[in-house]
Amino acid sequence: MTSRTGLAPLFALILASWPTLAAAQANSKGTVSISPVQNLAFGLLFPGRREAVPTTDVSRRAVVALAGSGPIDVTLVLPTALQTPTGDRIPLSFSSSDAALLTTSGATLKQLDPLQVNRVQLGNDRTVLLVLGGTAATTANTRTGHYTARVAILVNHPGT
Amino acid sequence: MNRSLRLLAALSFVALPSIAGAQAITGSIAASADIATVFSFGTSTGLSFGTVTPGSGATGSGSIALSRNVGVIYSLPDGANTGRLTGPAGNLQPTYTCGVGATAATIVSSFTSCVPASTTASQLTLGAPSGTLTEYVIFNGSLAAAQTNIAPGTYAGTIRITATPN
Repeated sequence: MTSRTGLAPLFALILASWPTLAAAQANSKGTVSISPVQNLAFGLLFPGRREAVPTTDVSRRAVVALAGSGPIDVTLVLPTALQTPTGDRIPLSFSSSDAALLTTSGATLKQLDPLQVNRVQLGNDRTVLLVLGGTAATTANTRTGHYTARVAILVNHPGT
Repeated sequence: MNRSLRLLAALSFVALPSIAGAQAITGSIAASADIATVFSFGTSTGLSFGTVTPGSGATGSGSIALSRNVGVIYSLPDGANTGRLTGPAGNLQPTYTCGVGATAATIVSSFTSCVPASTTASQLTLGAPSGTLTEYVIFNGSLAAAQTNIAPGTYAGTIRITATPN
C-alpha cells in the first residue's frame, strides 16, 4: 500500500515534467515553423499540353515559409498526379531542380532536390522560403475540370 | 524505495529524452490545375451548287469544323430561312440533309430538321466526348430541276449554326 501511494505523485511529476523538458530540448535545437504561403498553381491548362512551373515563376510556384534556427532535414512528399473528385488524373513530375531555398527578399540561397531529403541550415530565427515547381502533362483525353493534389512537407532536426 | 518504484523511475529517465527529442513537424500545400473547356468553330467549307444549267438539278455540300471537349447543343437560329438563297428571281430554297460527322464527308448524327420552324429549338444534342475531338457540321443541299429554271444570276444565302456548350 505504501508503494502505491508513492507511485501516484511520481507519475504526476513525470507527466507534468514532459512538456517542459520537451520545450527545453526544442529550444536547444531551435524550434521550426512551417507556414504555407502560396499553392502550386498550374492554372488553366489545355488538353494535350505539357506545362512546367519553374521555381522562378513567382505567381505559380509553391511557397512555404520556414522559420527557426539550426539544421533541419526537409522532405517533400510529392503527389504523382492531380485529381478530380471523380478520379480523373493529370500526371505530375518533379525534377531535381524543381525546388529551391530563397531569402524573403527572393535571393536564392540553395537549390534543393525535391526528390531527396535536403539538409537546410536555419540561422538565428530567420525566415527562409522553400519554393517548389513541377510539371503537369495533360493528354488530349484530359477532361475539363478542377484538379488538385497535396504536397506534404516533413521537417526533422537531424539526429532526432 | 521499493523495487517497482525504482524501476519506474529508471524507465522515466530513459523515456523522457526520446519523447522530448521528437521534433518532427509537418505542413502541406495544395497543388492545382484547371483544364480549359475547348469549344471553337474551325475552318468552314462553303456549300456551292456551282454553275447550274437552267432546268437541271444540282447538289452541293458544305461543312464547318467544331473542336470541343464538352457536350454540345446545335441549333439553327435562322429557323425556316436556314440556307435560303436569294437572287434575281427572288428566293430559292434548296432541300437539305444535315448533321454531324467525324469527317466532312459523312453525316453520322442527323439534325431533327435542317430548316426548322423554331429558331431556338435544339436540333441535335451530343454528349461530352472522352477527350478533345473535332467534328464537322455538314449540310448537303440539292436543287430540283424545276427550281432552277429561273432568271440567271447569282443566288446566295447563309447557313447559320449555333453551338452551345452543354
